[in-house]
Amino acid sequence: MSLIQTENLTKIYGAGEAAVTALDHVNIAVNEGEFVAVMGPSGCGKSTLLHLIGGLDRPNEGNVRIEGVALAEMDDDALTKLRRQKIGFVFQFFNLIPVLTAVENAALPVTLDGVKPSEAKKRAAEWLTRFGLGDRLAARPDQLSGGQQQRVAVARALVSEPALILADEPTGNLDTRSGDEIASLLRDVTKKYGRTVVMVTHDPRIAAYADRIIFLKDGKVVDETNLERKGAADQIASKMKEIGD
Amino acid sequence: MNFQLTLAWRYLTGRVLRTTLTTFAVIFGVLVIFGMNIVLPTMMEGFKANMMAAGGVVDVTVTHVSGGGFPAEVARKLDGIPGLSAYAVSLERTVNLPPDFVDGDPARPDRVSAVNLVGLDPEAARSLQVYLIDEPGRFLQANDTNAAVISESLADAWGVGLGDTISLPSVSGLTDLTIVGILPPRTLPGNEEVLVPLAQSQAMTGQEGQINTIRIALTSVDESARAEATAAIQSALGSGYQVGALDPGSEMFASLKLGQAAFNMFGVLALFMGGFIIFNTFRTVVAERRRDIGMLRALGATRRTITGAILTEGLVQGVFGSLIGIVLGYLFGAFVVRLSAEPMKSFLNINMGSPVVSPALVVTSLLMGVGVTLLSTLLPARSASRVTPMDALRPSLAEVEYKRRAGASFISGVVMIGIALLGLVSGNMGLIALGGLLFLGGLILAAPMLLRPIAWAFGRLLAWFYARQGIADLAQGNLTRQPGRVTVTASATLIGLAIIVALGGMTTSLTGMMDDILHKTLGSDYLFIPPSVAVWNSDLGASPDFAARLGEVEGVEAVASLRFAAGAINGQAVSVLGLDPQTFPQVAGLDFTEGDEAEAYAALASGRNMIVNGAFLATLGVKVGDTVEVTTPEGPRSYTIVAEAVDLLNAKVVTAYISQANLAADFGRTDDVFIMLNLKPGVALEDVEAQIKAIAADYPQFTVMAGKKYIDDMMQYMNAVWAVMFLLLIFLAIPSLIAMMNTLAINVIERTREIGMVRAVGATRKQVRRLVVAEALLLAAVGTAFGILAGLYLGYVIVAGIGVMFPMTYEFPLAGVLAAIAVGLLFGALAAVIPARQAARLQVVEALRYE
Ligand SMILES: Nc1ncnc2c1ncn2[C@@H]1O[C@H](COP(=O)(O)OP(=O)(O)OP(=O)(O)O)[C@@H](O)[C@H]1O
Ligand SMILES: [Mg+2]
Repeated sequence: MSLIQTENLTKIYGAGEAAVTALDHVNIAVNEGEFVAVMGPSGCGKSTLLHLIGGLDRPNEGNVRIEGVALAEMDDDALTKLRRQKIGFVFQFFNLIPVLTAVENAALPVTLDGVKPSEAKKRAAEWLTRFGLGDRLAARPDQLSGGQQQRVAVARALVSEPALILADEPTGNLDTRSGDEIASLLRDVTKKYGRTVVMVTHDPRIAAYADRIIFLKDGKVVDETNLERKGAADQIASKMKEIGD
Repeated sequence: MNFQLTLAWRYLTGRVLRTTLTTFAVIFGVLVIFGMNIVLPTMMEGFKANMMAAGGVVDVTVTHVSGGGFPAEVARKLDGIPGLSAYAVSLERTVNLPPDFVDGDPARPDRVSAVNLVGLDPEAARSLQVYLIDEPGRFLQANDTNAAVISESLADAWGVGLGDTISLPSVSGLTDLTIVGILPPRTLPGNEEVLVPLAQSQAMTGQEGQINTIRIALTSVDESARAEATAAIQSALGSGYQVGALDPGSEMFASLKLGQAAFNMFGVLALFMGGFIIFNTFRTVVAERRRDIGMLRALGATRRTITGAILTEGLVQGVFGSLIGIVLGYLFGAFVVRLSAEPMKSFLNINMGSPVVSPALVVTSLLMGVGVTLLSTLLPARSASRVTPMDALRPSLAEVEYKRRAGASFISGVVMIGIALLGLVSGNMGLIALGGLLFLGGLILAAPMLLRPIAWAFGRLLAWFYARQGIADLAQGNLTRQPGRVTVTASATLIGLAIIVALGGMTTSLTGMMDDILHKTLGSDYLFIPPSVAVWNSDLGASPDFAARLGEVEGVEAVASLRFAAGAINGQAVSVLGLDPQTFPQVAGLDFTEGDEAEAYAALASGRNMIVNGAFLATLGVKVGDTVEVTTPEGPRSYTIVAEAVDLLNAKVVTAYISQANLAADFGRTDDVFIMLNLKPGVALEDVEAQIKAIAADYPQFTVMAGKKYIDDMMQYMNAVWAVMFLLLIFLAIPSLIAMMNTLAINVIERTREIGMVRAVGATRKQVRRLVVAEALLLAAVGTAFGILAGLYLGYVIVAGIGVMFPMTYEFPLAGVLAAIAVGLLFGALAAVIPARQAARLQVVEALRYE
């Protein structure tokens, strides 16, 4: 059974003249343990798709099922709990809480789930150390570089060991090397720990780490490609050209 | 909870200045409530100790409902009532002693400033209480004259022993009493007693044949039997008598209670202000943190967690603020108690003890401080919980919701203002006071809607003003796009200034009125003033001889006096003052508000008619022309109210003026408690001073003072009171001004990023600075204009409220208005300049980084 299943997922912003159809009857399925990249031109609805899958926003039409359960039928508290326990997020913009330290930020999902703060921080510190931030645990977000902040966000997404990780441009602010590190880390997460990752990216090189790529354009799925590993990046780049990015 | 506490603490310590300022608001409110509730109960405690120090095995005490004297024969009615083991009658009076009367040394403060003169029937008294007289003295005997028994401690203070004499003021001049017995040192708090035979005290107080207390011992200890006996006593004596606790100081108590209520009101108002400030702050806080909150929600924080986090923040501030407030309040209270101990002793004969702090007060203050804070945080916390995860990902303008709510609150605000106006029309003191609060609340609610169009207009103005500077759109946009922000800022200003203007109006009007009445009612050349002005019950007067002797002095044109008796109407104590309708108007006067002056005096002379003051009409709910039944020692008497008038000394006491002839007939009182004297034209004070002082030496209970000097003294005293009032006012205004600065500053801080952008696209520092300052000034101007309007109304309400008792006309508080304008603009500029400089100095890069 697929971990994620969307049925005619549709999101329309605004109304009347100004209405923007961000997602238009999208049907996708993601299997457990799969690493999926979502690509497409700016404004095509990638972030919107991720938000709907994560239960952060509600669709106008259609439905999202996580492990077969329809999000539409869950109330706010149930959705909140689902996010807390099953899903880890990395957002396009940094979105760390400015008054909390790096380790506290990374520990948030487990702290919110009622784990003892000391234990939560221990787990967070492990992840941060893995990402080379072992000596910056007590730093505030405004004392970290953009790339470091992003790594804290990735650590945060992984700390609760969720089944599903949704990442929106996780490497957008990183140099090539750090970007590769994060991408291979996400790949490890799927392969070693059996987790599922859906990642939005512009970068063909980063997308090449995925098992499968979903191409969106104007809110519609225009193509899906299973990657054979060799020369994947070039293959993706030409595909992107093809759909007009 | 742990996590919420961490978060709250981080946010609070992250913005130290803002946290301090808002916490200060709570501190201040709690300080006032706590401090004042220490001071007044301490005074009352001292007062009670003075009044209630009667000891013995007394089960039941009988007094007249008026608190005054009654015929001694009344006690006979108790004979034969079953269940009584003994009773004793007495005539007791506090005799205030003038300064240095006992030791004659101005350098040393007196150890005794008042004594209780207790006239008793020696036989009967001993049946109720054991008097342990030290050998070789003896107790009083019924036929003693000029004999007294005092305690060892009083004898020490006075420096006398057995067989010596002490001198006490009396209605017929100084009276020497020989000490025939000495009791053990007094251990109870309160005044020392001078025990004399009943006849002696009747002579000394000018109350022949009268007593004012019956003490009764019952045979049974069984509750129901005692209740039965008490009921039998009550029915034997009739409703004119109070059977139960001795409460001679009810009038004074009422004044103190009123004072406490007023201060509590002030404290609540201060807390209310504090609550408003906190509410404002948290509203801003929630707006500022939309992204943080949304992020927390996205990561799995429930709504409850978010509400809890914000409430925790409020709680932390509330708890800290209240605790600090309590500590400071205690210091403040203790300071005031110390400061007022001396004047309380010399003016009112109240010995203040150490500050009284009840655990209940601590708990109440804490609950109020924390409660108000939590309450003010509740709405912002709820709106925080409605922030969705999407708010973190795509910050949106939250103005739509705002518009809808502004409409609803506008309507409720208008309704509240309407009710407030109705309260004003009703003329009822309580409703008017309530109306004042409602008006403020209504104004806050209605302000957003009222301010919107103004903000828009100012926005246009700014746009026009800055058109050449090239940042017109931004300037206008800030004011019109963010009416919520504008409103919050302006209403903080509004409240602060409204209070300044309102109290300014009250003070101006009160001073004017006081000055007026002072000159009208106390304008005579000489005044003979008893120790406790207006608490006549505790003053010892002088027989008519004194006034007569004064009248005979060469150069004196006329002498007028006031006499006092305690009366009651429908169970309400009434201060009945006797005046001579012929001489009184020549020397002094009343300030008439209803009825013709000449006719009223003539009416007093011609029958049972009375002139009453505003407090009388308001308290008893009667009007001029009505006839009321006055409880007198001789039974009920009907008096007709012929006019309403007031004199300064009695203005706040329920008072009726009748002729001295009626006072003698119905109340049996002929002693003067206040005397005024006028000199013939052309006679100077110096010419008669020596003679008058010589006569007055026999009556040391009076202070002799030239009328003009008394007025000067009074005015000086009043000015001191106003100074204190103004201090309190500033106290009250400061937090709201801080709130205004706070909101203005936050206004700028919130836009740091935006300002950075403007700078990045090419605005000069000067342009940015100008923009921010002009905007803040305009905001302040809007708030000031509304604040002054509101303040004028509130001031009028307060004056009208006080006018129920003190008739006075509303005077436009020009000074207050000017001060408000100055303060409003000054603080507006101050609030803008600092952040504006900061904004202008900001490195463009930093601004863009600012979260
Ligand atoms: N709150 C909103 N109101 C109106 N339109 C919106 C809103 N949020 C997104 N949109 C529109 O929906 C469309 C999809 O937006 P989305 O953010 O999903 O794009 P994206 O694929 O993530 O783009 P990018 O690669 O630039 O991040 C865009 O056209 C955008 O303008
Ligand atoms: Mg996006």
